[in-house]
Amino acid sequence: MSDLLEVGDLHVHHGKRPIVDGVDLALARGEALGLAGESGCGKTTTALALMKLLPASLEQSGRVTLRLEGAEEPINIEKRTEAGMQLVRWRHISLIFQGAMNSLDPVQRIERQFAEAIRLHEPEARSDDVRERIAELLRTVGLTPGLGRRYAHQLSGGQRQRVMIALALACRPSLVIADEPTTALDVVMQAQVLQLLERLREELGLALILISHDLGVLAETCDRIAVMYAGRIVESGPVERVFATPQHPYTKLLLDSLPVIGGERGLAPPIPGGPPDPSDPPPGCRFNPRCPFAAERCSAEDPALREVAPWQAAACHFAPWSEWPATTGAEAGSAR
Amino acid sequence: MNDGSTRDLLLHSWRGRFGLSVLGLFLFIAAFGSLLAPDDPDASSTEVLAPPSTSHLLGTTEQGSDVLSQLLVGAQVSIVVGFAAALISAVLGSVVGLAGGYYGGWTDRILDALENWFLVIPTLPLMIVLARLLDPSLTVLIVVIGLTSWAGTGRIVRAQVLTLRERSFVERARALGASDTYIIRKHVLPNTLPLIFANTVLIIAVAILSEAALSFLGLGDPTRISWGTMLESAFSSGAPSAGAWWYVIPPGLCISLLVLAVTLIGFLFEEHINPRLREAT
Amino acid sequence: MSGRWLAGKTLAALLTLVFVIIFNFFLFRVMGDPTTQLARLPNASPEEIAKLRADYGIDKPLPSQFLDYAGDIVRLDLGISQRSREPVWEEIKDALPWTLLLVGTGTLLATLIGSWMGVIAATNRGKTTDDGLLSFSLFTYASPEYWIGIILILLFAVAIPILPAGQQVTPGIEFTSWFAEALDVAEHLILPATAMTLMLLGQYFLIMRSSMVDVLTEDFITVKRATGMRWDRVVRRHAVPNALLPLVTLSAIQFGTVVGGAITIETIFSWPGLGELSFNAINDKDFPVLQGTFLVFSAGVILANLIADILYFFLDPRVQSR
Repeated sequence: MSDLLEVGDLHVHHGKRPIVDGVDLALARGEALGLAGESGCGKTTTALALMKLLPASLEQSGRVTLRLEGAEEPINIEKRTEAGMQLVRWRHISLIFQGAMNSLDPVQRIERQFAEAIRLHEPEARSDDVRERIAELLRTVGLTPGLGRRYAHQLSGGQRQRVMIALALACRPSLVIADEPTTALDVVMQAQVLQLLERLREELGLALILISHDLGVLAETCDRIAVMYAGRIVESGPVERVFATPQHPYTKLLLDSLPVIGGERGLAPPIPGGPPDPSDPPPGCRFNPRCPFAAERCSAEDPALREVAPWQAAACHFAPWSEWPATTGAEAGSAR
Repeated sequence: MNDGSTRDLLLHSWRGRFGLSVLGLFLFIAAFGSLLAPDDPDASSTEVLAPPSTSHLLGTTEQGSDVLSQLLVGAQVSIVVGFAAALISAVLGSVVGLAGGYYGGWTDRILDALENWFLVIPTLPLMIVLARLLDPSLTVLIVVIGLTSWAGTGRIVRAQVLTLRERSFVERARALGASDTYIIRKHVLPNTLPLIFANTVLIIAVAILSEAALSFLGLGDPTRISWGTMLESAFSSGAPSAGAWWYVIPPGLCISLLVLAVTLIGFLFEEHINPRLREAT
Repeated sequence: MSGRWLAGKTLAALLTLVFVIIFNFFLFRVMGDPTTQLARLPNASPEEIAKLRADYGIDKPLPSQFLDYAGDIVRLDLGISQRSREPVWEEIKDALPWTLLLVGTGTLLATLIGSWMGVIAATNRGKTTDDGLLSFSLFTYASPEYWIGIILILLFAVAIPILPAGQQVTPGIEFTSWFAEALDVAEHLILPATAMTLMLLGQYFLIMRSSMVDVLTEDFITVKRATGMRWDRVVRRHAVPNALLPLVTLSAIQFGTVVGGAITIETIFSWPGLGELSFNAINDKDFPVLQGTFLVFSAGVILANLIADILYFFLDPRVQSR
């Protein structure tokens, strides 16, 4: 069975500056893919690129192919015009934005915004059908249908996030992209929203791309995970494998910084340094200035993303790593 | 206020360059207008409302005076009144804003109410009423315009002082026993002056327009020629109906260009000030 | 809740008006004893002055003078015009509709055209359209409105004589129907209303433009695009309504400018409104009329501000929940 979504060599530029620098992704129907990385690594830009929602100042290139169930022809997003994209957006792919604070029009009632989205793709839908659907959607996310009569500012943060999830499902898409859906919420809300997403996935057979800088969030919900750094994917694989046996130093350090209940006390050291300037990347491997395991080869050659274990790929010269050398205070550039 | 970045800002945008050059030109004319004028601006002749010619580059007025000479001499009134009135307005507004914002309590409430009143009341009618009660002169114009334009500055200064008052460096200074005057002088004022300055430049533009309007309505200094009085004379002598465009267009054009130049400079200052305000020491 | 808020705003407006009355009173009674001003009229004998003082009640103590004055105002007795000997209120009553016609037309056109220009500029930010509109607006903002009026006269009444240069009706014509008269008034309204519109245009444009630019950066705009909405619909249905809200409150600040413009534009076009009344009163040093028009102008601006507040209350659902 072919994949639902296939992304090949995606590039996004701002003039000469690359923001997404060659990303390949594949997503099967009903699968949940996590996209992890620090802020600024290109996760959100990748997500927007999939729906061609980038501002005019950014140029996008690369293949984005959508193969819907039962469809004869695949949808080649990179070839679609704006008018063509308007048919795809929301109907097949929808988006839950980062921070639901301002994702709704403040001067319109919520149900009106639902109705508008539905009618964009089903203009002949009858009013009572639409109303019933909206009520059903709100119930699905655990809200009373009466909330539809309210305005966005009259809801709590958690309620607003649920509304955005319900809205994302309004046209019954095959793929939902959730960009940091739990960042602005407290831990309890976070758990609820993740459970909700999981349940919906099972019930509706939704494919999900979950973007987060929080690996813990991704561990719970995703089947596979892709770690991004400086506009590229540096590791990808099934979630249990990547978490148990990471094959890229960056992934390893990210996992190390997660606090473990019952583990050793004390804060893990943050990864020193910051992400590279996209217009002036370091020679060789982009991560090498911050990598505690970097060797000479790392500043000479840029490693490609390759399969290093069954189903697992990493962009590191020294992968596969059977075990990780000890790091004390993560000195960059120390020879192996 | 003469740090390099402000200068850069003004010189690097075409708006800044335009504004500075036009303002510079008018300042020069204001200073040397009477020397540059080809004729005596008050001299009348029999060539009444004559179109431009070699002897009168911008034609003549209804009294036969040279329009160009009047134009050059009239710059002085606009510049002097504009700057002086804006200065008074700035000082008044700053004092009121500082006092209210810093001392709070009833002082603030009264001053704030006063400020709001001046902001709501239509300015031109107020200026007319005040100016008509007194005998027209430049000083009267300056005072009247200054007394009616301060509220905008006052409100901005007050808001800024209120923010600053809560900042830790002020509390620290007070805890160390510093007097109010010291705190105002050393901490509040330096962080507020750029704001006052940017705002005052825009007030200069408003003051120039106000002087022109008052002069046009007949409340200007009858002994001085200004662009506003030129428009007044032109209008009351029927120059528009006579088609005397040379008399009517230049004074208004000068007002527009001068006000535009000052406004552009003022906007640039404002843009510049805004992000810097957030990193007050 | 909303009733309370409404009452509060109305009370504040009334209080401001009261201060205008107090200000008026002090200005003319205390600062300039009107009879000495009157005495500049030639041939005023001491007996006439004494009679005038008694008439104006200046021989009474200050507080009771003020109460008399306030009482008069409430009864719409604004004194007698020194020039025409008619009650000031009568003259104001006759002039007011003309000013409202001019100001109303100008404000309406300026709001519509200025907002529309602002939307275009904001959605084409940085391009030549935006620059062009900005430059045009800045120039009209910097230009004296009476000068623009004179230029309009030069162009359309003198050079190409297609429109009347002044007054509200063509003098000496008998009108067969109210419609024909209305048409004549409309013809005379064109140039003054254009001057007024051009004067206000720049400000509404700048406000709307910056408001739109702010709204277009909001998340919900991208979300609407993501739902598959065409861009022009996103702008029309979601960006513009949100951008109009600040316009309502911010344009309230312009009402004072509108009044100033009315005075000078009416003067240029001999439009028989409050502006021209003021202008004539300036020349005649007719203080009761000046006082009266100042009062009415202030009341107008205060009322306009109150209406803007109320309008905003009904338009923004976020305010209603307070």
